[in-house]
Amino acid sequence: MSKALPLAVPAVLLALLALLPLAGERFVTYLVIRVMLLGIFAVGYDLLLGRTGLLSFGHAGFYAAGAYALGFFSLRVSHHPLLGVLVAVAAAALLGLAVGALCVRSSEVYFSMLTLAFGMMVFALVWNASSITGGDDGLVGIARAPVTLPGISLSIARDAEFYYLVLLFFALAIFVAWRIRGSPFGLVLAGMRENATRVEFAGVPVRRYRLAVFTVSAAYAGLAGGLETLLESSARPMMAHWTHSSEPMLVSLLGGLGTLSGPIVGSALFIAIREIVQRFTEHWMLGFGVVLLLIIGAFRGGVVGTIHQVVARRRARGAAS
Amino acid sequence: MSAPLLAAHGLTNFFGKVCTARNLDLAFQEGVLTSIIGPNGAGKSTLINLLTGHLPVQSGRVEFRGGDVTRLPVHARVRMGICRSFQIVNVFPQLTALENALIPSLAAEGRAHRFFSPVWRESAARADAEAALERVGLSERSDTLASALSHGDKHLLEVAVALAARPALLFLDEPTAGMNPHERARLLASIRSLAREGRTTFVVVEHDMDVVFSLSERVVVLHRGEVLCDGSPDHVRADARVREVYLGQEVEAAARPGALP
Amino acid sequence: MQSIVHVLLAGLSSGMFIWLVASGLTLIFGVLGVLNFAHGSFYMLGAYACYTLVNVFAPHFYLGVLLGPLAVAAVGLAMERRFLRGVYHLALPYQLLLTFAFVLIFDNLVKIAWGAGSLTPPVPAALRGSVEIVGRRFPIYSLLIIAIGPVVALGLWALLERTWLGRTVRAAASDREMASALGVRVPALYTGVFAFGAWLAALGGALAVPYVGLLTPGMGESIIIDAFIVAVIGGLGSLKGAFLGALIIGILSAFGTRFFPTFDMALTFLLMAAVLLVRPRGLFGAAA
Repeated sequence: MSKALPLAVPAVLLALLALLPLAGERFVTYLVIRVMLLGIFAVGYDLLLGRTGLLSFGHAGFYAAGAYALGFFSLRVSHHPLLGVLVAVAAAALLGLAVGALCVRSSEVYFSMLTLAFGMMVFALVWNASSITGGDDGLVGIARAPVTLPGISLSIARDAEFYYLVLLFFALAIFVAWRIRGSPFGLVLAGMRENATRVEFAGVPVRRYRLAVFTVSAAYAGLAGGLETLLESSARPMMAHWTHSSEPMLVSLLGGLGTLSGPIVGSALFIAIREIVQRFTEHWMLGFGVVLLLIIGAFRGGVVGTIHQVVARRRARGAAS
Repeated sequence: MSAPLLAAHGLTNFFGKVCTARNLDLAFQEGVLTSIIGPNGAGKSTLINLLTGHLPVQSGRVEFRGGDVTRLPVHARVRMGICRSFQIVNVFPQLTALENALIPSLAAEGRAHRFFSPVWRESAARADAEAALERVGLSERSDTLASALSHGDKHLLEVAVALAARPALLFLDEPTAGMNPHERARLLASIRSLAREGRTTFVVVEHDMDVVFSLSERVVVLHRGEVLCDGSPDHVRADARVREVYLGQEVEAAARPGALP
Repeated sequence: MQSIVHVLLAGLSSGMFIWLVASGLTLIFGVLGVLNFAHGSFYMLGAYACYTLVNVFAPHFYLGVLLGPLAVAAVGLAMERRFLRGVYHLALPYQLLLTFAFVLIFDNLVKIAWGAGSLTPPVPAALRGSVEIVGRRFPIYSLLIIAIGPVVALGLWALLERTWLGRTVRAAASDREMASALGVRVPALYTGVFAFGAWLAALGGALAVPYVGLLTPGMGESIIIDAFIVAVIGGLGSLKGAFLGALIIGILSAFGTRFFPTFDMALTFLLMAAVLLVRPRGLFGAAA
């Protein structure tokens, strides 16, 4: 297991993130929100893939479930953003529990294929039930109402204000993931990735644990989906498409599968590269495919993993001399 | 005679057309160190797989402390106290030796599901895991990744992981394979002292006759899925059918006094 | 009644294209153990190669069908030798992600080379005819496709069961180390099987040119999902299962599109989920 960073590093990063909107660059603020959303999605996804070794192609379905749940709640019941986010997470988690219960009975490739099927069923549902879900236009006009708590009302209408709500959830999501990874449950998950049979023989009901981590990762996806709905004021069917499921996969690999910071670093890199390369060519995904090849071929640990390796090698050399 | 710890009644198993277990009736008493021997293909691993729940029972019954466990899944049997080690090293390569032993000990303490508290606070499980590593002589390498251990150390870890769950009944599947004489002696001494402490009843599958006859109070001989002979080491050694199956050589060699460490 | 027969025939013919892609996918999975995401791209490349050959070099469709897939097989060969070979020892996610990287690369290369829009290939005169079936006209080409499917199936069966090469492939599929110990050059065999699988998909693509009438860079994406579903329903690694699965999915999709247009997208996924829940390894897959 990797050595934890000294607490100062995340603290400094958090402080920097908190100061960012004050710099006034609206577009950068928007981009960093997007990075945080993808980061939340990817951190939860990596708990499933990097930590437990389960490859899901259907997580976009949970993202969309969260997005549409918040959308419906906001349009029909209440505009309160915190309640909406709660509904989004709950909806995604419930769907994750139901789908997961069916999928964890299968292993490896069949598990992946089942998750693909369920994810695309969500897509088909939101695409076709256009009278309820708005079809390929999706749900629109979702308001970003102020956060009202007893005594105060905080506006989140401007991106720079909404940024802080997202930052709060981002920090919370990472904190929870950090605790899970360091817990007995987290250790058992790592064991399941390495050798599921032996974990069973250690006395752990593997299927139940798989379902638990699947549900948690679905909840993360729902959180990200709900927050995106608030950001864009809309929920769209493509959120549920399997190509969207590939994003957390790619960024986790890019940043470092199985690490906590990897998915976040990967999200930042992914969005930064996309923004830059898109200005020059619309075929930036081609470059991304090449980058993927490079990572799988040579830098399997991703950015974070490679850094760890370099640091470890330096330390070994230092200890030897 | 008190109720057996584990009893198998009429276990029959077919692998396609091959019969790997033929109407086996076997009982293991608490505290009696038993060895299971037999030529290759006799069905030793199949028996362990059936008794531990790794292979579903096609016909027959398995009882643990009088209760029917035939349909119980593997993890439930482990929680009840039936554990095993594997012939081929079956550990967690990217985890340290200590972490390897922690997983079963956490499960045994009922703490494996805790998801918010840090693992390093689990003192009881940690103590069990460290004790298991100590027993097999791996304490110095508790922070080494399992994949980085030497071949012999990996086999020691294999046994440690099985021990860490502090089972009532432990099946060791060829535990000394791949070990040098020093490691083997150390492991056997550990098994003997643990058996004497009484917490764990050992059932050892072995090919090495020195180990078998020096360690066991009881020897079960399997041949083609059936129990050929079952009794004290002397009884088995003297049995004509056993000699025939083994061509007398290994059995007689082990009968020589002073042949064992 | 008339529409049912026509829908059935339409389903059979569209199913045969899925079969061609799924057959290669199944072969590759059965022998190499790799689930090739890029297989839909081979189908697409086969179509584009055929189109280009016919449009640019020689206006003979059969040349396009003959040479196009061979060119794509060469691409597959290079892909396996240079990239895929290095990841067999890695965990499943890495293999899938590698083939996925190639999807990104191939799809975007096609967009760059042929444009992101759709192309309309000219249909050769000989294939434009139609035949009357139960009172309505049905394209001859579609009937031809329905015939080609089983021919390919029989050919594959004969190849695998009756030839020395086929036996070698099957041996390597069931036990790689043993085959290698017996002198089989397993890496070369893997490359060959991969290239052959790519050829099958590309053949499907080339044959699809007059059938779909429209080429888009997205055609690979849509057929790979169907091919996956078919391969999984049939049981990964079972050609017989893939053939049966392709027929079922083709017919189901055709009926779905015609009679239940709102649900047709979900139908195939529902079927796959249903099959897997009842038979976790597919219809003819290895026992769970």
